[in-house]
Amino acid sequence: MKWDKSTYRIQDTGIYGKLLLAVGIAGLAASAVGFNADSKQFYHSYLTAYVFWTSVGLGALFFTMVHHLVDATWSVVVRRLSECLMVTLPVMFIFLLPIVGHGIHDLYHWSHADAVAHDVLLQHKAPWLNTGMFIGRSVIYFVCWTVIGAVLYKTSLRQDQKHEEGLLGRMRMVSGPGMVIFALTLTFSAFDWMMSLDPHWYSTIFGVYFFAGSLLSALAFMTLWIVFLQSNQILTDEITVEHFHDLGKLIFAFTVFWTYIAFSQYFLIWYGNIPEETVWYLHRWEGNWKTISLLLVFAHFVIPFAVLLSRVPKRSVRMMTIMSIWMLAVHWIDLYWLISPNLHKHHFHFSWMDAATFVGIGGIFIFCFLKRFAAQPIIPVNDPKLRESIHFVNI
Amino acid sequence: MSSTADSTTVRPPLISGNQTFSTITQRISEIVEIEVQKTPKAWFIAFGISSSLAGGMGLMIAYLLWEGTGIWGLNQPAGWGWAIVNFVFWVGIGHAGTLISAILFLFRQKWRTSINRFAEAMTIFAVICAGMFPGIHVGRAWVAYWMFPLPNQMDIWPNFRSPLLWDVFAVSTYFTVSCLFWYVGLIPDLATLRDRAKSGIRKVLLGIAALGWRGSNRQWSNYEKAYLILAGLATPLVLSVHTVVSFDFAVGIVPGWHTTIFPPYFVAGAIFSGFAMVMTLAVIARWIYKLEDFITMRHLENMNKIMLLTGMLVGYAYACEFFISWYGGNPYEQSIFINRATGPYAWAYWTMVSCNVLSPQIFWFKKCRTSIPVMFVVSILINIGMWFERFVITVTSLSQDYLPSSWGYYIPTVYDVGIFIGSFGLFLTLFLLFLRFLPMIAIAEVKGVIPEADPHHYDH
Repeated sequence: MKWDKSTYRIQDTGIYGKLLLAVGIAGLAASAVGFNADSKQFYHSYLTAYVFWTSVGLGALFFTMVHHLVDATWSVVVRRLSECLMVTLPVMFIFLLPIVGHGIHDLYHWSHADAVAHDVLLQHKAPWLNTGMFIGRSVIYFVCWTVIGAVLYKTSLRQDQKHEEGLLGRMRMVSGPGMVIFALTLTFSAFDWMMSLDPHWYSTIFGVYFFAGSLLSALAFMTLWIVFLQSNQILTDEITVEHFHDLGKLIFAFTVFWTYIAFSQYFLIWYGNIPEETVWYLHRWEGNWKTISLLLVFAHFVIPFAVLLSRVPKRSVRMMTIMSIWMLAVHWIDLYWLISPNLHKHHFHFSWMDAATFVGIGGIFIFCFLKRFAAQPIIPVNDPKLRESIHFVNI
Repeated sequence: MSSTADSTTVRPPLISGNQTFSTITQRISEIVEIEVQKTPKAWFIAFGISSSLAGGMGLMIAYLLWEGTGIWGLNQPAGWGWAIVNFVFWVGIGHAGTLISAILFLFRQKWRTSINRFAEAMTIFAVICAGMFPGIHVGRAWVAYWMFPLPNQMDIWPNFRSPLLWDVFAVSTYFTVSCLFWYVGLIPDLATLRDRAKSGIRKVLLGIAALGWRGSNRQWSNYEKAYLILAGLATPLVLSVHTVVSFDFAVGIVPGWHTTIFPPYFVAGAIFSGFAMVMTLAVIARWIYKLEDFITMRHLENMNKIMLLTGMLVGYAYACEFFISWYGGNPYEQSIFINRATGPYAWAYWTMVSCNVLSPQIFWFKKCRTSIPVMFVVSILINIGMWFERFVITVTSLSQDYLPSSWGYYIPTVYDVGIFIGSFGLFLTLFLLFLRFLPMIAIAEVKGVIPEADPHHYDH
């Protein structure tokens, strides 16, 4: 990959574009084979991969809006990166089509009319949990995310052309109400796509739980992307160890936040001990699911907490690379743990389709992201705080 | 480094009025150094009123200890009444100080320096008021120390599975760390006052309190390390205290209490109410002591933005609870939520919603965010709303739970109201003493954010 240092543009993406596309198509083709073999397994693997890559985009959308709302300085140099991720989010709508078009019956118990007919609770929830409403809501989520992202991105590009006084203010104006819409749409998308897999179960904190994981995955993805760019000698002077340090702090903070939310949910349900709530955790404590549940405690909290607590690892590119891959991996396991007990009731076993769908959707997602990333300067060249951001130092 | 400002290109100074190191020292120190006769009249009037209220509360508590908690409006089924509501209310208010000093510090929000000192003081006084209520609610207040797990010959222990016991640990830890944090921040300023002191006894007392502070490089370096570590330790405490308070309710399987969003929802509410109280007091103190150069409109506006944010978070939690009460399909949960909105306590519920969710919406507009009368009124509305939130949670759920035959209606007595008002008296008494005797703005920290603090300021 090559870039032009004077214009901050990617000149040539090298083989990466073709490689990603090839990997993506191969993954999707393999998934299609899996679909013919076992559609139930396919859709559960697919949903996990789908939610994973969507959450990366959602985290980036949040990151961009927070950047504008708090008028941050340090993150100016990584802003374009999160913006490009955020505008890649609409691609995920295409990947939603198989789920809403066909997979809904393989995934969601409430979508079967005969199941609803014999279940008083499902009848009660039918005005919310029905195919039409489900599709309608998913469309609304994507319309909101696309519009907010597009407006922010367009304004940001206009800033690249020439500096106008009001542009940052406008992006902040969009981010305020944008954040409100984001909070609601993200919450309900988590309710719809994952919580309703077990249509009897409910938890008010579920949206916040999904949010915590989303932001973590976006931060980890962005860190990895910076490492990738710098290994190609791109942005080596602009993004410094100080920026890694701050990204590390945020990854650390949101690891703890995720744990706080996960613990709150688990603890209150455990203590209340009401069967209609505990059953959800019971499914995740049966057979070898117990391993995954315990793994989450250690891999999603104890280890990253211990590693990222001190200053040195956050300022080491090597450690940050390892921890970003680690966090993305545990985020996937977390989603797997949320989704797959719906299929493998007492005993989980990984399917090759888990990998195929992940690589397939991921390949296309990153390919689209790369194309977007190469389409404009890779840092906001006219941002008034750019210089300050480049020279920023942690004290 | 950053904080919000009007212009997106130039950062306006945090402190206005061309202050220098010496004018800052002078302006803040003189407030506490003036002679008794020159203390503002308003201070004496306020102190007279608040200490009388606190005294009245003392009398009522004496009667309470003599007669028992039956003098309150507690009944069957509402065994938790105003005392618990007030406890949660005051603990919540005690959250802004440590948030400002710890979390905003970690987020490099330098505008916090003008408000952190008195917000921390307020935190400590609010926690004192909060701690009083469970103490007198136990009935036999002379054995309130049984709340602690003390070894005894009868082998009686508190229930370690009870969140009420965790409260004892959480609140006392929070109180200790908040005091420590506040005191560590005060040391350089106490030394400043010591160096300015004229009378001998004042010099000695301040000298002892300043712990031999000389302001050397080495001392500053240690000080800043200590401050950072304390900030790191205090940050989880900001979350943990109100999380444990939320457990008081949420671990019970009472409809309207048992819901998983309670911990973050309570924390957001606590910060919300804490900032509202800081705002109410800041506006008054700024006006009486003419501190407009130090607590500028930018500080006030930033606080209003935080109130808007936390108000929306609380609104999000209300909405989530309401939605899930329907979605969950549990008839008891549904009925309690419909009852809250339409039942005998609907007046309290709608007071809560309009004060907490609707009133801060006005802060979307810059004109309102920067208008002193608007922010003053809204901050008081938020205080009222947040008290009602705790009232709604505690009382509506208790008075109308599973068995309609045991439903009741809670009516507070004069002692409920009196002790609550008296707790404001205690709070304000302590706060006024603080204003009079200790620097209400962190002198050393404010000096660090003015242009003169830049080592290259005088190079041209």
